[in-house]
Amino acid sequence: MAIASGMCDCVLVIGGEAMREVTGWEGTDFVATMLHPTAEYKYGLTLPSFAGMFTRLCMERFGVESKDLSIVSVKNHDNACHNPVAHIQRPVVLERITNPLYINATNPIVADPLRQFDMCPVSDGAAAVLLVAKDRQDELGFGKKPFVRVAGIASATDTHVVANRENPSDLLAVRLSAQKAYQMAGMGPEDIDVAELHDAFQILEIEESEEVGLFPRGQGHIAARNGDTKVGGKMPINTSGGLKAKGHPLGATGVSQIVELVRQLRGEAEGRQVEGAKTGLAVNFGGFGNNVVSTILTTK
Amino acid sequence: MEQMYAYKCTKCGKLHHPRYVVCQNPDCDGREFEEVPLGGKCKLLTWTRVYNLPEGYMQPWLHFGVVEFENGVRATGQIGFDEGIESGMELLATVGIVRKRRILYKESIDCEETGFVFVKP
Repeated sequence: MAIASGMCDCVLVIGGEAMREVTGWEGTDFVATMLHPTAEYKYGLTLPSFAGMFTRLCMERFGVESKDLSIVSVKNHDNACHNPVAHIQRPVVLERITNPLYINATNPIVADPLRQFDMCPVSDGAAAVLLVAKDRQDELGFGKKPFVRVAGIASATDTHVVANRENPSDLLAVRLSAQKAYQMAGMGPEDIDVAELHDAFQILEIEESEEVGLFPRGQGHIAARNGDTKVGGKMPINTSGGLKAKGHPLGATGVSQIVELVRQLRGEAEGRQVEGAKTGLAVNFGGFGNNVVSTILTTK
Repeated sequence: MEQMYAYKCTKCGKLHHPRYVVCQNPDCDGREFEEVPLGGKCKLLTWTRVYNLPEGYMQPWLHFGVVEFENGVRATGQIGFDEGIESGMELLATVGIVRKRRILYKESIDCEETGFVFVKP
């Protein structure tokens, strides 16, 4: 906004968070304070609790299986192995986290039906993006770098109390913000080459990919099963490793998604590059879908 | 035992839980609410069993659920029993202690928060 109005030529956007300074219980409690104080937080509800309840609804409604979540998780871990700034750069073997013989040892339940590998780790991290006015690029000495344009950006909100939503298995704010961003960019879901979605819980990657229109409703988990969301698939999602493996330091996540898209669109993402990527979509999520920001970046 | 309430907009009649400042009906701007007792029979929409509880809980796990009351109001709460929880089952809403906290400020104060605990009818 500051650049568009002409007030500034150059803006540095920084996001960061240090979450591993406290114990897991304290950290869980801090993060849970973003829920409604009297209707949710006081019961001891946390973000994983809501994700667990949301997953159960999706399982009953769309037939998502626990294994689909593990498939998404393995895919994101594989992508993160090629990302030198990811938190967890280790591959995960699908068999090891889904075999019923030892699943409770390797992949214990956290918030039934969600297991450990279905949710993001607790990370420290920071990310930054430099925005420069288009007509001042040469003057400021940035002329030689390939530029990426912000084609569309929009935010939308949903009710703070998750129980008050009309349809609890929908992520309405994701749908609305994506629609507004597409409108601003004059594009549609078919123009997107690479997407960074907010997969704090693997179910969210599946549901968001449907809500933003990349896959038809109820088909997101089938696309993940078929490998369409891998690098080299029809619609690569979370090439950075996503929040699952790149890490989820709350304040840095949104900016780091933009950083990954910029790398992809410039062709600098070695080992995980999506060939010919020209347009990317990032969806960032606050609370449990309370406020969502969708950003579309393009080199066109 | 404390009573839980739904808040009825005096202008359009929409029921709310928890309390809001402005009516959530997009076509209404009511700011006055009337308290309606909320409790009794309800239907479980979805539930979860959580093992990593926040600071202050000494249980190994807790059950949480979202329910819909007969008047259409939805609320979140704890589920007071362990076995045989299923989505869609009938429950009875009671009020119990849902959190014990110690507030550390000058001298420590112990406080208890009450809220919905759903039990078998």
